[in-house]
Amino acid sequence: MSDINIKKVSYLAKLALNDDKAALYEKSLSEIIEWVDNLKKIDTEGVKPLHNITEKNQNMRNDEVLKKNSTEEILSNAPEKAQNFFRVPKVVE
Amino acid sequence: MDNNWELVMGLEVHAQLKTESKLFSSSPNQFGSDPNSNVNFIDAGMPGMLPVMNFGCIEKAIKTGFALNFQINPYSVFERKNYFYADLPQGYQISQFEFPILSEGHIEIENDNVLKKIRIERAHLEQDAGKSIHDIDPKYSFIDLNRVGTPLLEIVSYPDFNSADEVINYISSLRQILMYIDVCDGNMQEGSLRVDVNLSVKKPNEELGTRCEIKNMNSFKFIRQAIDYESKRQIEVLESGGKIEQNTLLFDTSTGETRPMRSKEFAHDYRYFPDPDLLPVHLTEEQIEKVRPTIGELPQQKLNKYINDFKLEKDVAKIIISEKSYAYFFENLISSKSIKPKLAASWLVGDIFSFIKEKNLQIKDIDNSSNKIIQLLEMIESGTISSKVAKDILVEVLQNNKEPSQLVKELGLEQVSDNDELEKIVDDALKDEEDNIMKFQSGSDRVLGYFVGKCLKATKGKGNPKVINELLLKKLNK
Repeated sequence: MSDINIKKVSYLAKLALNDDKAALYEKSLSEIIEWVDNLKKIDTEGVKPLHNITEKNQNMRNDEVLKKNSTEEILSNAPEKAQNFFRVPKVVE
Repeated sequence: MDNNWELVMGLEVHAQLKTESKLFSSSPNQFGSDPNSNVNFIDAGMPGMLPVMNFGCIEKAIKTGFALNFQINPYSVFERKNYFYADLPQGYQISQFEFPILSEGHIEIENDNVLKKIRIERAHLEQDAGKSIHDIDPKYSFIDLNRVGTPLLEIVSYPDFNSADEVINYISSLRQILMYIDVCDGNMQEGSLRVDVNLSVKKPNEELGTRCEIKNMNSFKFIRQAIDYESKRQIEVLESGGKIEQNTLLFDTSTGETRPMRSKEFAHDYRYFPDPDLLPVHLTEEQIEKVRPTIGELPQQKLNKYINDFKLEKDVAKIIISEKSYAYFFENLISSKSIKPKLAASWLVGDIFSFIKEKNLQIKDIDNSSNKIIQLLEMIESGTISSKVAKDILVEVLQNNKEPSQLVKELGLEQVSDNDELEKIVDDALKDEEDNIMKFQSGSDRVLGYFVGKCLKATKGKGNPKVINELLLKKLNK
């Protein structure tokens, strides 16, 4: 079994898991990782990492303003808004 | 507290790039707009929206590469830095990690007339986050996404700083260079340049101590205060037998103290990985070299030119290069071949600056008077008016945008250089002055100044001092 710290993983993913679910996901995540770990058996000595499968160059655009959406559109899915801001539970620094 | 502690600091400077549009979306990169008005669906992290790289940002990064002596990497990769925060709708920041666009640069800073090389480890492109407002409501925070996706260049130095002065000098040099090459507007108040300071203390010859990172400062004053406070705090902890805990701190500008950031209580695990929405950036030699000629003159080059070619005093030259706008204003003045750089420089840092300061203006506010100022300086150079008269005219020019030649005529201020006319005045001045004439002839130079002053007074300041001087010497040496 791989070492999965399900508490840490769920914290990072902002998921609240009860104990049953935590045990279940810990097990299935470990299995996934074990499966992926098979790749480590391949000898990659001297092979450079590939960052994208296509190996093409990045498409770029010129520095121009083309598209912005209206404030109404941007806020239309917000659960809460006020004076054209998104309103969220207090995040304290 | 003994003084035998050494400070070791490294800096991360986040410079917002001066572009029209954002790093991965074509919405406007603009400060000060209404909330959530410069946002498109890419910035808002809507599902299915794909980032498209802005080549303008790559060009600005390359420019910075040349100006800060970086190695410009032909291959760089964008990765996702994963964390949750209300002003980061994507749930990750697109940044560069293992393969930044720039590596191993350096600049020189001057500290008490000693040059020090500051090594810069890397600089990478990344997206800025939105803005959270915490202080309007006790229960809620308010989020404005206008800043989301604004291009940032994060410039990461090596831990080469040992004092707050060095840090300040570095940031001001960096800011100056970025403004000269038109990469960043340098407006610290608006957050265009934000600084994280990594700070630790140690005894000489000891290993590096545990460091703390003070995040997100945007004023020289606060950076200095934060460094002073945090270094004292660490020394006190160590001297009382404690240990420094590695921590991310905020500088509280109201108390002047540093304190741990609550959101960073748990060590972050950003789980960087190459962003599958973006392909690696390959730059050709040709693309890179094409940017080189666009850099223009760097502040250090201008400084050398001003001192060596224009023969300006070092202090004066430094004031003029300190802001790009000053240097360009100055160079515009001396575009007139009849104006000597020294004269233009002394008027600029003297009367022109005092006027601006007094009226709370900026150099750009008087830009449209520059042709008139040129006219005025030309009249001084040709001896048409005296410096004294020019001072008064300058104020009129700057305040009411009047034509200097017109003013001179209107007020009858034209300088008197006519030999015959001035000879009479000189003769008058020397009347009944046998004592002083004797003094001069027995070697007292100061008397000459007295006579010149007397003549100038008689001409109401309009007499040409050079001609008066010559006439006086001629008569006195008889």
